[in-house]
Amino acid sequence: MASLRCIVVTPEETSLEETVDFVALPLFDGEIGISANHSPLIGRLGYGELRLRSDQGTRKFYLDGGFVQVADNVVSILTGRAVPAEDVDGAAAEEQLATARGLPSNTPELMAIRDRQVAQARAQIRLGQNA
Amino acid sequence: MANARALDKRRKSIRNIRKITRTMELIATARFKKAMDRASAATAYTARISQLVKDLSQSGLEVSHPLLEPHENPRHATLLVLTANRGLCGGYNGNVIRGGLSRHSELSDSMEQLTFEVSGKRGISAMKFRKLATDAEFTQFDDQPGFEEVEVLANRYLEAYAAGTLDRLDVAYTRFITSARQEAVVETLLPLGALETDEAADTDSRGESMYEFLPSAESILEEVVPSSFKVKLFKCFLDAAVSEQIARMVAMKAATENADDMIKNLSMTYNRARQSQITGEIMEIIGGVEALKN
Repeated sequence: MASLRCIVVTPEETSLEETVDFVALPLFDGEIGISANHSPLIGRLGYGELRLRSDQGTRKFYLDGGFVQVADNVVSILTGRAVPAEDVDGAAAEEQLATARGLPSNTPELMAIRDRQVAQARAQIRLGQNA
Repeated sequence: MANARALDKRRKSIRNIRKITRTMELIATARFKKAMDRASAATAYTARISQLVKDLSQSGLEVSHPLLEPHENPRHATLLVLTANRGLCGGYNGNVIRGGLSRHSELSDSMEQLTFEVSGKRGISAMKFRKLATDAEFTQFDDQPGFEEVEVLANRYLEAYAAGTLDRLDVAYTRFITSARQEAVVETLLPLGALETDEAADTDSRGESMYEFLPSAESILEEVVPSSFKVKLFKCFLDAAVSEQIARMVAMKAATENADDMIKNLSMTYNRARQSQITGEIMEIIGGVEALKN
């Protein structure tokens, strides 16, 4: 079976590069699973959980938006932040959710900003609970 | 000729200063290497983003986004000046501040409202000295700026730009060109203008793309543009950090060499002074002996 390489790049560094069997990604509008020989794809990531399954078991990360590009059995993930699920700060996320809810939402632009922050906070809280 | 003991004292103090500047030079060299590694690690992301933009444009997508378009009749501008927290780095801070100030007077003439933000203690104290009011001051960015810290700033600008309370963002910083060349520049980051792609990007644009876009190419573009802004701003901070260390390294190297020269000169004068003192003493003794003979 062809192997699948997964590369996670953040603006600071290439934080992860390894061979895995299966990758589950949080896309903007739902989760997607990618195995080897997947067709080429560019996707917009949402806030949520990245799961990497390999021989050593499943590893989970929190992804903070970004993009994914799949081609030639390489999954490149571009994201602002990739945090191991154990290190997600649930308390800070709760706080962000509370402040985000208090934001004004009287124009479409402000509403988009608010929605984004709420989604970001919710994803972190959810991940924090499941970890 | 000066007193030999005073000369010796001066020479000792210069030796001490030399020790300090030499140490600072070594520290700056080590920090420069670290900062440089970080900066080159960051290029992986930039390269991939521009690859992504290239793939997008190959799908025949019209690249347009609110962040790329300038606002009509701009009124609110923000100027961000990136200086160091510490001095002793030659003209580094002075150059950035000078560039920032000229843009400051330009913008405050042409814009209705100018928000002036300064990062780095040296810049803050320089503005205080010139009695210029700053709207925000940051001192948390040191020689290793983190993306998370910069992202907070970037998000604030993006939100302000989307909400219409910011029409233009300028950043004054020192751009890193090569390790032998850095220059203080003022760049306009918002509106973003055009997205950077690698040269020869449109070899066969409008052709079929092999990629499937999820959810759609437009939606991806919507996300690419803010990300590339964030990375651009982050790169400004990284460049500033690297350039600061280089500037300090060069300044301290020059200081050490200067101290070496001074020690050499002083040693020579000191030896002469000591010799003439000895000669004088001998002359006195001989004179005494001669006097006793008579």
